[in-house]
Amino acid sequence: MINKRYNKKNIFFLRQLIVEHRQLMVYSFETLTSFSYHRSADKHNYYTEFRVPIISFISLLFGGFVAGTFGALLGLGGGVLLIPFLVMVLGVPMHQAIATSIIAVIATSSAGAAMNLERRTVHIRLGMLLEIATVTGAILGGITANYLSASVLAKLFSGLLFLVALVMIWRARQHTGQEPIYTDGTLPGSFYDDANRKIVHYTVKKIPVAMLISIVAGNVSGLLGVGGGIFKVPVMHILSGIPMKAATATSNFMIGVTAAASAFIYFAHGHLNPFIASTAALGVLAGSMTGVRISRRIHGKVLTWIFALALLGISIQLYLR
Amino acid sequence: MPDFISISNNVRHDAERWTGRVLRIGVWVSASLMIAGLLIAAMYPSTIVVFSSNPTLGNLVMRMLSGSFDPVTLMFAGLVFLMFTPILRVITAVVGFGVERDWRFVFVSSVVLLLLACEIVYSIFIKG
Repeated sequence: MINKRYNKKNIFFLRQLIVEHRQLMVYSFETLTSFSYHRSADKHNYYTEFRVPIISFISLLFGGFVAGTFGALLGLGGGVLLIPFLVMVLGVPMHQAIATSIIAVIATSSAGAAMNLERRTVHIRLGMLLEIATVTGAILGGITANYLSASVLAKLFSGLLFLVALVMIWRARQHTGQEPIYTDGTLPGSFYDDANRKIVHYTVKKIPVAMLISIVAGNVSGLLGVGGGIFKVPVMHILSGIPMKAATATSNFMIGVTAAASAFIYFAHGHLNPFIASTAALGVLAGSMTGVRISRRIHGKVLTWIFALALLGISIQLYLR
Repeated sequence: MPDFISISNNVRHDAERWTGRVLRIGVWVSASLMIAGLLIAAMYPSTIVVFSSNPTLGNLVMRMLSGSFDPVTLMFAGLVFLMFTPILRVITAVVGFGVERDWRFVFVSSVVLLLLACEIVYSIFIKG
């Protein structure tokens, strides 16, 4: 019904709606080769026409899927790989790419946290405590990002990719062995370790320092649209002495809340493009579910090295753009 | 294992299961809305959908209530619903800690909830 109405009286409805709203966005599906934005104006109002080509739509879905799959395999979350794809391949504006990534982060975090909560690997108390820091950081980051230009954000993002690549290389060089468990800290937690078939009891150390670093992680999340788990997990593991499994699950539980802390700000600024955000979020969601399933069969170290080097390359290219 | 730990673990297990369930339902509902929006849009390639570039939350709810299920409204509804799932997660944590009578962490998670509420109020404020 609605579609018929739009087709028959297209121009009439457009004009009427332009009169009703000061700022409009017109979405259309077309068989073009890339996304395009047209700004048009009549006497008093202006609107933006956004064309969604079928090819870009499919590549967006596929790109989201790939970013989600490898994100889950590498423990990165979708954002780090999704934003360069959106900006460099599909030509999506930086702010919209960040808003899209935030949505994808919320989707993957919620789906993953549902699973981890049922397995009882999440330390909710610690998560909530650190959340005060990350949410504060993310709100400030979200506000700041909307006052920064796209080129400044792109430069900052290229710096972030460089750091992520370094952390990945450092992680790949670490030898996995018996984890030290501390019992002299606060906030006792426990989870069932499938591999060793026993309940692991642990405590948390150096919470104030972890909170300080969480503010920075939250700020990066709000500013650049990534989860920030790549920084939070090593901090929780090394500094606070939380077993890797619990640290990863708790970080995953947290990043959705952190992302929600800046999502509404991007939404209010009009950076949330429904076509791009929905398609990419669905792609990333499906990808991360696939990634989690196949992660046991993939040799992690080689993949980490390949992606760390690729991220270094992308970082340099994004900086030079 | 001492008794008090196992009792608190049982209560916590319930809270965790409920939080997990809420999250899973939230993700599926929002994904369904987004898929419905995209499918409707893709089925009518010549369709031009018109919507304000940044609808307010109230505007979106009104459009949904008035039965205006155009693709963009559906997609926005899916996205906004998804944005609310982490907040539901925090609300269930507040309730869960309340059931456990852990008032310190009821306070901690309420602060998180308050910060998120401030963000939403700020985002409504900047839209004018």
